[in-house]
Amino acid sequence: MALDRQLEILAVCGVGMGSSLMLKMTAEDALRSLGIEARVENTDVSTARGMTPDVVIGQGMHTSEIADLAPVVITISDFLDKDGLEAQLRERLTEQGWLS
Amino acid sequence: MTVVTAADDVTAGDWREAVRKAASALVDAGAAGGGYPEACVRVVEENGPYIVLTKGLALVHARPEEGGLAVGVAVTRLAVPVEFGHPDNDPVDLLLAFCTPDPDAHVGTLSRLARALSAGLADRLRAASGGSDLARALKEALADD
Repeated sequence: MALDRQLEILAVCGVGMGSSLMLKMTAEDALRSLGIEARVENTDVSTARGMTPDVVIGQGMHTSEIADLAPVVITISDFLDKDGLEAQLRERLTEQGWLS
Repeated sequence: MTVVTAADDVTAGDWREAVRKAASALVDAGAAGGGYPEACVRVVEENGPYIVLTKGLALVHARPEEGGLAVGVAVTRLAVPVEFGHPDNDPVDLLLAFCTPDPDAHVGTLSRLARALSAGLADRLRAASGGSDLARALKEALADD
C-alpha cells in the first residue's frame, strides 16, 4: 500500500560518518532520479539497531547484521554506483507498493 | 579550510601498512594527532573492509575523537595495489584518508568529494602524472562551489 508520509531511508556503515555519508548522497541522487520524496540519514550499524527506517542500505557485511531492521534491506558493494542503487530501489520499492 | 595533501608511489606490504601510511599523511600535515593512523586500522579490524567503497578505492577514516584536529583529506597512490579482503572492490590502489575535528565539520568537504568521485575523480587521480598533480586534482575537486 502506498505510504502517506515521506519515506525514511538509512544508509549504514561501520563508523557512520564517512562511507555512509557518501552512500547517503548516492541514494539521494538515485531517489531524485526516481522522483521519490524521502529523508535519507546515515549512521553506524550499532546506532541503526535502535532506529525504525523503511529502507536500510549498506554493504553486505553490515546489512547481514541488521537484516530484520526494515521492510526493505538493500545490499550494495559500490557506494558510488547510483545506477545500480536506483535499479534496486525501483524494484524493491515497487514490490512494497511504495512506487508505481 | 580543508587541509589537502598527496603522496604518490607509496609502497605498502599489506592493507594495514597502506591505511597507516595514508592516515599518516594527515598527521604530517598537522590535521590529525599521532594516534589517528592506528585508529583507522582498528576501524577496519572491528568493522570489516567496508571502507573500500568502490572499485580499488578505500576511504580511510576514524572517529573525530581519535585525533581529528582539522578537516583534512589526503590521497595516497600505491606503487603496488593491496588486498583488503573486500568481496567485490579489491585490490586497492587509491586511498583517500580524511579526518575531522567534530562529527559535522567534514560534511561539506565529503559531499564535494562524493560528487567528484561520482564524476570520475578516481580516474583523474589514477591518471595523475605525479605527487603534485595528484594534489592539484584533489584540490580542484574539493574547491568551494
